[in-house]
Amino acid sequence: MSKPRIAIFDFADCEGCELQIANLEEELLDLISIVDVVSFREVMKEHSDDYDIAIIEGSIMRPMDEERLRFIRSHAKILVALGACATIGCVNTLRNQWTPEEVKKEVYGNAKLNDTLFNIGPAKAINEVVPVDYYIHGCPIDLDEFKAVVTALALGKKPEIPTYPVCVECKKNENICQYELGNFCLGPITRAGCKAICPTHNSPCDGCRGILKKPETECVTDLVARYDLTYEELKQRCTLFNSGKEACK
Amino acid sequence: MNHPTHTITKKELAVFVNNLIADKTYDVVGPQAKGKRFVFDTLENASDLRLDHDVTILPPKKYFLPICETLLHYNLKKAFDAHQAAEDKPRIIIGMHPYDIIALQQTDKVYLDYQKDDFYQKRRHSTIIIGADIETVSDRSFAASMETHTTNDGYDLLLTAIGASYAVTIGTGKGKKLLEKHATTKKITPADLKKVTDKRTRLPSKYKRTVKARKEDWPKILAANHDHAIWAEKSDRCMECSSCTIVCPTCYCYDVRDDTNLNLKDGERYRTWDGCMLKDFGRIGSGEVFRKDVKERYRHRFYRKGNYIPARYGYIACVGCGRCGIACLPDIADPCDVFNDLSRFGQQPDTGRYYIRRTTKPQEKGVIHIPRSATITRIQRLTTAETLYELELDDKKPLGHKPGQFVEISVLGVGEAPFCVSSVPSPTPVFEIAVRKVGNVTTKLAALSVGDKVGVRGPLGVGFDAKAYEKKDLLFTSGGIGIFPMRSLINYVLAPENRPKYKSITILYGAKSPAEVLFQHEIDQWKKVDNVQVEQTVDRCDKTDCWIGCTGLITTLFPRVDTKKLDIRNTIAVVIGPPIMYKFVIKCLQTIGVTDEHIFVSLERRMKCGVAKCGHCQMNGVYVCKEGPVFSNAELQNLPEAFE
Repeated sequence: MSKPRIAIFDFADCEGCELQIANLEEELLDLISIVDVVSFREVMKEHSDDYDIAIIEGSIMRPMDEERLRFIRSHAKILVALGACATIGCVNTLRNQWTPEEVKKEVYGNAKLNDTLFNIGPAKAINEVVPVDYYIHGCPIDLDEFKAVVTALALGKKPEIPTYPVCVECKKNENICQYELGNFCLGPITRAGCKAICPTHNSPCDGCRGILKKPETECVTDLVARYDLTYEELKQRCTLFNSGKEACK
Repeated sequence: MNHPTHTITKKELAVFVNNLIADKTYDVVGPQAKGKRFVFDTLENASDLRLDHDVTILPPKKYFLPICETLLHYNLKKAFDAHQAAEDKPRIIIGMHPYDIIALQQTDKVYLDYQKDDFYQKRRHSTIIIGADIETVSDRSFAASMETHTTNDGYDLLLTAIGASYAVTIGTGKGKKLLEKHATTKKITPADLKKVTDKRTRLPSKYKRTVKARKEDWPKILAANHDHAIWAEKSDRCMECSSCTIVCPTCYCYDVRDDTNLNLKDGERYRTWDGCMLKDFGRIGSGEVFRKDVKERYRHRFYRKGNYIPARYGYIACVGCGRCGIACLPDIADPCDVFNDLSRFGQQPDTGRYYIRRTTKPQEKGVIHIPRSATITRIQRLTTAETLYELELDDKKPLGHKPGQFVEISVLGVGEAPFCVSSVPSPTPVFEIAVRKVGNVTTKLAALSVGDKVGVRGPLGVGFDAKAYEKKDLLFTSGGIGIFPMRSLINYVLAPENRPKYKSITILYGAKSPAEVLFQHEIDQWKKVDNVQVEQTVDRCDKTDCWIGCTGLITTLFPRVDTKKLDIRNTIAVVIGPPIMYKFVIKCLQTIGVTDEHIFVSLERRMKCGVAKCGHCQMNGVYVCKEGPVFSNAELQNLPEAFE
């Protein structure tokens, strides 16, 4: 079996998830022993448009990005969304509450801007533009999950991404519940897979892996009311990572 | 009953614990503070030990069934290499409360009674338990109602706080030896003995929470309230996080996964705690989910605690520790509340209605997780999605299966999945499985070639009792890939040496489309056997398809059955097909007069471990992998989850 050819691309993001991949360090040798990395701008200068698997980091902001993404999709057999910007839109979608003109004015004032480069639309997750085969969630991604997905694809198996909430992993870590500590945690409605890293380090979950239950679901409204919170507070809490169209499905 | 025989001062107890830690032979664990709560963890110094703890976040089951436990290591560069994981260091658990000790004794029933779990057994033997009587009662606990606030056995040593010292009860010779070697104790005085008795007698009065319904009545309460509105009312608030099962000392279900290293050379198969409240718990390879609704899963958990497990093992699977009540954010998980609510709504005698008692002999000896290796000796593509594999066990021993039994097939690195054996019983090490490409294991199987190796565990479960069908008319109905296991039974009864034992044989078979008809060549051979009627149909038939037979669902074949020929009271009907098919076919069979005792079905569920432990295939109180997959329709009458 020949090695699958992998290309890693980035759009609007902080490149932190790519950096996580670079953080494989000596394990990078294992990675390149099972796949051919043909494009990975952050760590190599070579590039090829001949690949089997495209891994996409970042959100889509402009028509020119959409065009580029469609080009990648048409070349890739498998397309994987990498990190919260790509999977749910993440913090980029926060700006969708303003018009592109307002955003530009706020950031750049009256400066003259290049019409093509600054032709921005609403921020989008990858699957708002092209079909996505697999998701590696999180801000940033969990490196073990990244490895599991790559290994699964190399073995020809479907990667398994948790469909249950962070509480499962948090309980297994034997943490004291953030609600018991008086904190507002999104763990009960957020997809697991991060090993509950935030609550384990005593910080409530912010929902970066996507919301499993909409804030208006009966059990969710019940839960917030139980802890003296309101629906508005919950919505507010979810905006940081989950204000994109694809965030809550 | 054991009585305390010694006392040890608090100071001497600290010396004892520090001696155990210094010994280095053992991993010494005990309850320690974590914020305002407590957790069992490795002790570095006796001063960290909190024998006054109320309850720990997770129960000590984590030391017997670790949250993540390697079952075997594999090497993908070799043809088939799977070897058992190493054992861990012996352990001493100090400060286990009586309810946790009793929960562990319950888990013994599951893991040591039928098809012993090697890993559990080894840990159980190498662990010394120094129990502690409860000093501080947890606010949420109702252990006194469950009679688990004290215990007479299940420990090696038991400590009871009495003023400035502890009374020590010796439970086993192992405990006695440990005490003699590492501790300085005094003989107990009659005054101290009385203190211990008084303390235990007074303990129930310290509980704020009590269950109104006697625990003996839980099975009866549940027998009467399966369709009660309470299940929907409460589960509407459920977050589906399974925290309740994770923190439960009596929950024991697990999932099995393969984790291959990034080098694609080696990896491990491990098991990890799973929870029946999670929606993918009952998902099978084809994507179908059993107990899809949260209400059903919520109810399932209480039935396990108060009805299914009592029927199977004879104990109520709740020890009243109150952990689920603490862990559940919407506070709907606490059995104390649920049974108090339900106790107002009547009872019904319960004779284990949701359980089917069978004496299934354990099929495999020794390690239950390590598969035998087998070589693919022949591959026959049946359709674009279905393939027949002939496998030969490398140890050259016959599989020894009955028609209807199943095997767990492993593709190392990908996983394990259950398949019914499709060939007839054989004295050779060769057998066949037929596979539809739907999930990870089946997709990977499709990529394998002759000469490749797979792992085999089994045969598992209860197959068809073909002997009992002798001297009777037989009516076989299969839909879709239901023909896979049916083929084993049909070829068995049609074998020249067996055919005379049976009367007429009618075979009904339906496929979705002409392209999906399986084993047509073999079916044509079946037709040639004396006194065999074969009727086939396809659900739909396009103009381009070549098909001259009947079109329509499987039920359209029933008018063609020559019922005059059949002695209907003496007819055995076997039905195997997709879940949706059973209800309709069984209705047809009942209409022509076949009795429920004579209708046999083979059910599909997520049979992950195959040995009645992991919990995934459970259908009401029945483990499909152990009591099934073959059942008579009469047996299924009381199981609402059978044909959901």
